[in-house]
Amino acid sequence: MNDVVCLRNVTKSFHQRLVVDDVSFSLKAGEVVAILGPNGAGKTTTISMILGLIKPTDGAVLLFNRQPHEKQVRERIGTMLQEVSVIPGLKVREILELIRSYYAQPLSTDELINLTGLTDQDLITRAEKLSGGQKRRLSFALALAGNPELIIFDEPTVGMDISSRNRFWETVRMLAAQGKSIIFSTHYLQEADDAAGRILLFNEGKIVADGTPEEIKARISKQTVSFIIDPDVSLEKLYLHDEIKDIYRKNNRVYVQSDHTDRILEFIFQEKIGARDILVERGKLDDAFQQLTSSNKEAI
Amino acid sequence: MRAFQMQCRAEIIRVTRNRYFVFWSLLMPILLYYIFTNVVNTHASDQTAWQAHYLMSMTAFSVMGSSIMTLGIRMVQERTQGWSAFIRITPLSDRIYFAAQMAGQSFIHLLSITIIFIAGALINGVSLTALEWLLSGLWILIGSFPFLALGTLIGLMKKVETAAGVSNVLYMVLAVAGGMWIPLEVMPKTMQTIGKWLPSYNFGNGAWEIVHDGTPNWNNILILIAYSALFMLLSKYIRRKQEAV
Ligand SMILES: Nc1ncnc2c1ncn2[C@@H]1O[C@H](COP(=O)(O)OP(=O)(O)OP(=O)(O)O)[C@@H](O)[C@H]1O
Ligand SMILES: [Mg+2]
Repeated sequence: MNDVVCLRNVTKSFHQRLVVDDVSFSLKAGEVVAILGPNGAGKTTTISMILGLIKPTDGAVLLFNRQPHEKQVRERIGTMLQEVSVIPGLKVREILELIRSYYAQPLSTDELINLTGLTDQDLITRAEKLSGGQKRRLSFALALAGNPELIIFDEPTVGMDISSRNRFWETVRMLAAQGKSIIFSTHYLQEADDAAGRILLFNEGKIVADGTPEEIKARISKQTVSFIIDPDVSLEKLYLHDEIKDIYRKNNRVYVQSDHTDRILEFIFQEKIGARDILVERGKLDDAFQQLTSSNKEAI
Repeated sequence: MRAFQMQCRAEIIRVTRNRYFVFWSLLMPILLYYIFTNVVNTHASDQTAWQAHYLMSMTAFSVMGSSIMTLGIRMVQERTQGWSAFIRITPLSDRIYFAAQMAGQSFIHLLSITIIFIAGALINGVSLTALEWLLSGLWILIGSFPFLALGTLIGLMKKVETAAGVSNVLYMVLAVAGGMWIPLEVMPKTMQTIGKWLPSYNFGNGAWEIVHDGTPNWNNILILIAYSALFMLLSKYIRRKQEAV
């Protein structure tokens, strides 16, 4: 019961359209979790419910065992929303001071500047005149202003250049090392793999996979054994092994798909079917990911 | 408490940096004041009384404008741009946020009133008793409440463009039909009858009465209270409907 975040059977529909469908998961202190999924998967909607910005149609969301909108919760969380917004008419330094004043134990302005890489020039610029990437940096600083225990980012790196991006993930890793709990959403498996210890794979409002990046990758990237074989040889015998997920012929080669390619090799030699030029391949992760989260509704 | 102070300060800084505010709420009323008391001959029988009267008109005009426009449009902006959502996840309570906006806005009004009064004293040497300056200023400050309520009502609109358009039109119609630009007495009879029921006329009339050795009429006060209640109820109703989605 020491979960930082706990969602139980959370469902959200907009005008009878199911957008988040019976989502349950919980987060322990210090976990870094990526919510990975394509456009429209329900990432932002889920995050909005965690933040208490919208109410679930059904189910419960608890942060630190409390309702998301309670002040005690607000003191302990920080966030960067998908649509970065800044208050117009104020300079960056003024905004930082303003937001810091909302919290009982804020980080100092200097710490925020160090963490986020805001420059002296940024600090005296009015928020509406910042570039997209500079706004992101400000928004990152605002997320950290209250020295939160739980930090939630919705697609944090959109619009950042490579160096800001690297710097951002570096800071995130440092925060994780300090024991902060972090949730972020992303479209990219790579990002989730690099930064998170756990991935929640979202598709069409459901969690379709929940595990470490390695588990997720193993699950979604298909491994195949392929070989050349005399066209007259029957593959009947191979069909009998239930380790095999799929067999097909393409350009003279036979492709055998399985999670345990070593076993397949064993079969091939045991059955003495005369396979030549044997190759073991791991499918491209990105392709598999794309296939998984494109409109096909097959569960993995 | 510190959050409240910082928020007020931020609101005040933002308004004074807003060029539209400086133009519409300070320059424009002062310019109009200069024109209608010095350039255009209004054939007023008592020039001194007219100068004091029109100073009140323009001050009320300015404060009414920033109540309706500045507040309303800013609320829509903050909501559509997601700033309100961000504020909601911070520990700052809605109540303090709202109170700070109102307090900041009132401070801005105080500033406008002072500046325009000084401009009147400098341009035409308008001289009122200390009590008259004080009471008329206070009346304009407090009497702006229904317009602040109207501002929050406009603040519930979905788009900044609609909010800006609607508030502009409302502002101008209320100002002209309420006798702030030209006195109601010189308008056609029907316009006068309608004008007397508008919040703008009743707002202005309180101040006019004060500088003409009187006191605001009871019906001025009652009508302003009625409008405040109406606008607040309406915005409460609309907010509830919006939340239901
Ligand atoms: N306020 C709303 N009213 C109606 N439908 C909505 C609303 N918000 C989101 N949706 C719908 O819910 C679905 C999920 O949206 P959501 O923003 O959660 O997706 P997402 O995973 O964050 O996508 P993206 O990667 O594009 O940000 C979308 O199909 C969207 O059209
Ligand atoms: Mg999103």
